[in-house]
Amino acid sequence: MTTTPTADHIYATGLRNQWHPVVPSHFVAPGAMRKVTVLGEQWLLFRRSDSTLSMLADRCPHRGAPLSLGKHLGDRVACWYHGVEVETDGTVSSVPGLPGCNLEGKKLVRSLPVREVAGAVLAYFGDEQHPEPAELTLPEPLTDPGIDAILCYAEWEGGWRYAVENLLDPMHGSFLHHESHTMFDGDTTAKFRIRETDRGYFFEKTDQRGVNFDWVELCRTGVDWVDLSIPYPASAGPGGPFGIVGMVCPVDENRTGVFFWRYRDVQGWERDSWRFLYKTLIEKRHWEVLEQDRVMLEAMPADADQHENLYQHDLGVVRLRRLYRAEAEAQAQGQAVSRNL
Amino acid sequence: MTTTDWPYLDVHQSRTHEPTPYEFKLAATLEEVFTKDGHELADVVRGLNARQVHAPDGGPWTEESFRAEIHRLGA
Repeated sequence: MTTTPTADHIYATGLRNQWHPVVPSHFVAPGAMRKVTVLGEQWLLFRRSDSTLSMLADRCPHRGAPLSLGKHLGDRVACWYHGVEVETDGTVSSVPGLPGCNLEGKKLVRSLPVREVAGAVLAYFGDEQHPEPAELTLPEPLTDPGIDAILCYAEWEGGWRYAVENLLDPMHGSFLHHESHTMFDGDTTAKFRIRETDRGYFFEKTDQRGVNFDWVELCRTGVDWVDLSIPYPASAGPGGPFGIVGMVCPVDENRTGVFFWRYRDVQGWERDSWRFLYKTLIEKRHWEVLEQDRVMLEAMPADADQHENLYQHDLGVVRLRRLYRAEAEAQAQGQAVSRNL
Repeated sequence: MTTTDWPYLDVHQSRTHEPTPYEFKLAATLEEVFTKDGHELADVVRGLNARQVHAPDGGPWTEESFRAEIHRLGA
């Protein structure tokens, strides 16, 4: 059904053969379905009334009509155009216009492996050579019962890579976010280094930690995510700094879904206090910081990375681009990519 | 329902309801206590009582009543 996309296309619309976040879980209520775009492709999220979630190509195997225009029949979807019924694993269960026709019983619609994690839907997008899902190791802050994480999801105009590059560029915190509740402090000059890990790399200041957005870790564990930490002002109460687990959904060439779980290592009354303050007052301040990112990234020209003059603080970004570009090239050539960076 | 509105930009994603005047007042006072008095539970109880921000029953806070109320509010 699909031809192998070019490296440029993969680089622009997102890497294959890995898990990506799709939308928050609550976007698909029990008994509902939702059309979503990921990697420039059309998909259908389908949830049964018992909450079981499936993800199908949004394309009827009969004539290609979007299944998302069809009817939710509990355990299958009926295409609106000619009534063809498709089960959640992609098997055609009924062709009402011609009962017994040879489409029936055939698995003709692509169905993706899905997982729900900390309030978000993750799905595995393999190409034809890699249909089996990559092993997925979830970010520890989202699985550690002692850590409380709250998801913030937003949809931005602009390509996915600029959203990730923004996270691998901590120094923007001292400037773009200087007027904010958390990043008003610390030096506006710094030296950075890259420190390798077995799952990615740290990009960190060598001369300041715990004052501003001073380090970030890129982690590739079946899904790509970043971890970072930013101090809270004293008004946020006990529990120290907050962390962010960040992921992006490459929607298409020009749109990105961003997932930021703000997390804190807090329990008992300290946890309850943070959650209460977060819901009542702090969430809006976090949002204002995120809006600064959105305004800047949406204003970036599409060819911004074609005419740059980079300096030492951009090492984290350069590294990221090299990594993703190499992977896009390899995927375009249909090669398995080693996870070594 | 499969139509989607792009973009989704929602400031408040963690709330179950618009905070009440009582909740806003308690939150603002709690931030002030954390900033000026300290981060211990004793600081919180003392700080809220000193500022005349009362517990749900109208009386002064105790550690126990604060734990119970903040657990309800932070659920």
